[in-house]
Amino acid sequence: MTRDAVPEPDEDLLGKALARAVAGLTATGRLVVVEVAADGMTTFEIHRDEHGTALGRQWVLPWITLTAEHGWGEDARQALLRAAGLPTPGSEVVVVSSSPESATALQALEWLREARTAQVFSTTAPITGLVRDVLVGDPLCRSYDLVVMRPAGAGGRLELAGKLLFPVGSRAGTRTELTVRCAPGGEHGTALAVVTRQGREPRLLSVHSARVDPGPYVVTAELVRPGRVRFAGLPGLTADRRTWDDLLADVPDRLPPRTGPAHLICAVEVCGPDVKVEERLGRARQMIAFLSGEPAEAPRVSLVSYGAHSFDRSVRDRPVEVVAWQASAEAALKGLDTLEERGAVTQGYPYHPHAAQVEDMLATVAARLSRSKSPPSRHVLLTIGDRRPHPMRADRSGVLPCPQRHDWQSLLAHLEQLPGFAFGAICDQPEDGRAHRIWRHLGAQALAHLDALDLQGLAAGLGLAAPAAVHVPFPLLDETE
Amino acid sequence: MQPDPKPGRPAHDIAMWGAPGSGKTTLLAALDIALMRRDDDWRIVGSDPASSEFLIERTNALSSGKVFPEASQGLEHYHWTLYGPGERHRRRWWRKAGRPEPFEVGIGMIDAPGGLFSAGPRRLDYGPDVLDDLRERMLNDLVKSRGIVFLFDPIREFERGDAFDHLHPPLKRLTERMRDLGRLTGGRLPHHVAVCVTKFDDPRVLETAEKMHLLAPEPDDPYGFPRVSDDDAQDLFRQLCDLSANGNADMVLNALGRYFHPDRVRFFVTSSIGFYVHPQTRAFDWHDYQNLLPEDDDLRIRGPIHPINVVEPMLWLGRRLAADKETPR
Repeated sequence: MTRDAVPEPDEDLLGKALARAVAGLTATGRLVVVEVAADGMTTFEIHRDEHGTALGRQWVLPWITLTAEHGWGEDARQALLRAAGLPTPGSEVVVVSSSPESATALQALEWLREARTAQVFSTTAPITGLVRDVLVGDPLCRSYDLVVMRPAGAGGRLELAGKLLFPVGSRAGTRTELTVRCAPGGEHGTALAVVTRQGREPRLLSVHSARVDPGPYVVTAELVRPGRVRFAGLPGLTADRRTWDDLLADVPDRLPPRTGPAHLICAVEVCGPDVKVEERLGRARQMIAFLSGEPAEAPRVSLVSYGAHSFDRSVRDRPVEVVAWQASAEAALKGLDTLEERGAVTQGYPYHPHAAQVEDMLATVAARLSRSKSPPSRHVLLTIGDRRPHPMRADRSGVLPCPQRHDWQSLLAHLEQLPGFAFGAICDQPEDGRAHRIWRHLGAQALAHLDALDLQGLAAGLGLAAPAAVHVPFPLLDETE
Repeated sequence: MQPDPKPGRPAHDIAMWGAPGSGKTTLLAALDIALMRRDDDWRIVGSDPASSEFLIERTNALSSGKVFPEASQGLEHYHWTLYGPGERHRRRWWRKAGRPEPFEVGIGMIDAPGGLFSAGPRRLDYGPDVLDDLRERMLNDLVKSRGIVFLFDPIREFERGDAFDHLHPPLKRLTERMRDLGRLTGGRLPHHVAVCVTKFDDPRVLETAEKMHLLAPEPDDPYGFPRVSDDDAQDLFRQLCDLSANGNADMVLNALGRYFHPDRVRFFVTSSIGFYVHPQTRAFDWHDYQNLLPEDDDLRIRGPIHPINVVEPMLWLGRRLAADKETPR
């Protein structure tokens, strides 16, 4: 029997050949690498999984086992070829001889050559490490994305999106840094989920979760090897066994209002029955105290009181009073002490019994804001009362016009167009249509009833506190990205 | 309840007529104030102590206490006499022009809550005998009267729409009574009727007039109040009828035109309290003219009252009655 010559050992050439062969693997292709050594044969079968990651399996056939069962004849040849997986059609075969001096190995090599056309290489050391290195060094054939959520249009709606971590061609060791914001993530915390895409459909590659405090984080992703991404930057990350469907089930459709530095303007109606005024001031106190205990940055607080207009020339019209402006919560609470001691300031004739200086209050707030030199990015006007405003001029409502001729509609429109301005209201009257329509505007972002106040809900609705019920399972993409 | 006027008093020639709460009482109090503000010699005087007391009380309430006169709750029958300087007679060939004769006309008013002419004593806690008597007195007033001041409250009509209910039954009975007495002329009642569209000061009325381009300033008015001329008043009345709560207000207009001689019916747009005038500007302000201020469940008058067109209907009736007296039929 004439045997073909075995090439001289060349690990570098073998490594390049294996890398090329792995790189050429298709989604359904197979690469078989057979190492023939003095003591037996090792087979590596390599294929790509659904993410395009090249994976290898290996098994060993010792000669002693082969000969014990089949002798060293035709039966042994057939068993050897089955062990090498060569009957599998369409697979590329690479044969490596690591013991060219062994007669058994040479025989086995000959059988393999006869069975399939294969590249034959020679090496002086086992190739297990080489195959592993080739698989680790295989460049990505699909991009890896981090699953994030980002705002979609107005109203705080959210949509799922992918933030590119590693493009096609990336190799192990590549790092990517990105800034994300974590919202309260619920039971599992925030999930760092990596997906690849087959067409438009994402395929979940890995999930790691951490329960972290809400806020911005700089996250570093490292491609350890194809199919394995390691994150740093989120404390307490652990592997998460949830499926893609599990994760999707936790996705809210809306972004919780943004918390952060804000300016809360409490405007309290201090006319009407003393009991009512006391109750309103108490609600303002609750809200300010609640926010000062929130983990988010405590807002600056302004306190404005307004009453009813006097329509008797013998009685002075009490102007809107700015008790505190952009002060600390403590200062605002002290201002509330003063107002509570004073009680209702305008009650009964000659003060109007049905309307209040809502329009004057809006004018005062607008004027103060326009004078602010370094205003916070967000202002929240929380109005607590129940009366209607005075119209700018006499109209069919029968309510006398504002003596200052303020137009509440244009003032509201002015405030509404200020960036980051939010309206909240605690209205005495039930939401059954009895309250004047201005209260719909004053409570545009959050409207609560005096007798049934959910502080958490109201504060969350105004973006002053994190909502208790809404969890965001994925990182939010920072707006600066 | 007061007895009928004693013999020898002036004949009560003008009857006040209108739905309860239409402003009859307020108009009379405002008339007293308006007459006192005039430079001439017109005055209204009670024909008996109760009527005098009633007028004093209501007038003081309007001018000083600023409490809006309450709508009638009792059953009262009042009489006043309106005195004026009269007008100089035109010289006739048979007599020389002489000093004007003092003008004197009686005004009668039944002060009663609604339902007086309803089929049953609706909402009234009075026995049928009392109601029959009061109805009879009111009819007698109307029969004896040659002039009628009919008050139409467009706001009440907008909210309740009962003006026709309070006009139609007594109108039918008055016509029947006058026919029995043989005093219909041409099949119609012979009365002169001053139809007063009240509450001109209410924004709903003023704005309606403004939209119809019926407003014009009175040149001699020191405050520059807008006015609706008497010639345009009927157009405003007709427009306000369209806003009636039950849509029957147009029948008020038709009934007045059919039961009375059209040339004896004249419309006036009135306000008993007038518009608010700011003490500094002392001029009408389109932005702030309401003279009523809500107080609890009631209303309070905000500033001094400036009655609008409350004297004119009386003077017009007085002149028409005087002219009738001079012209034998």
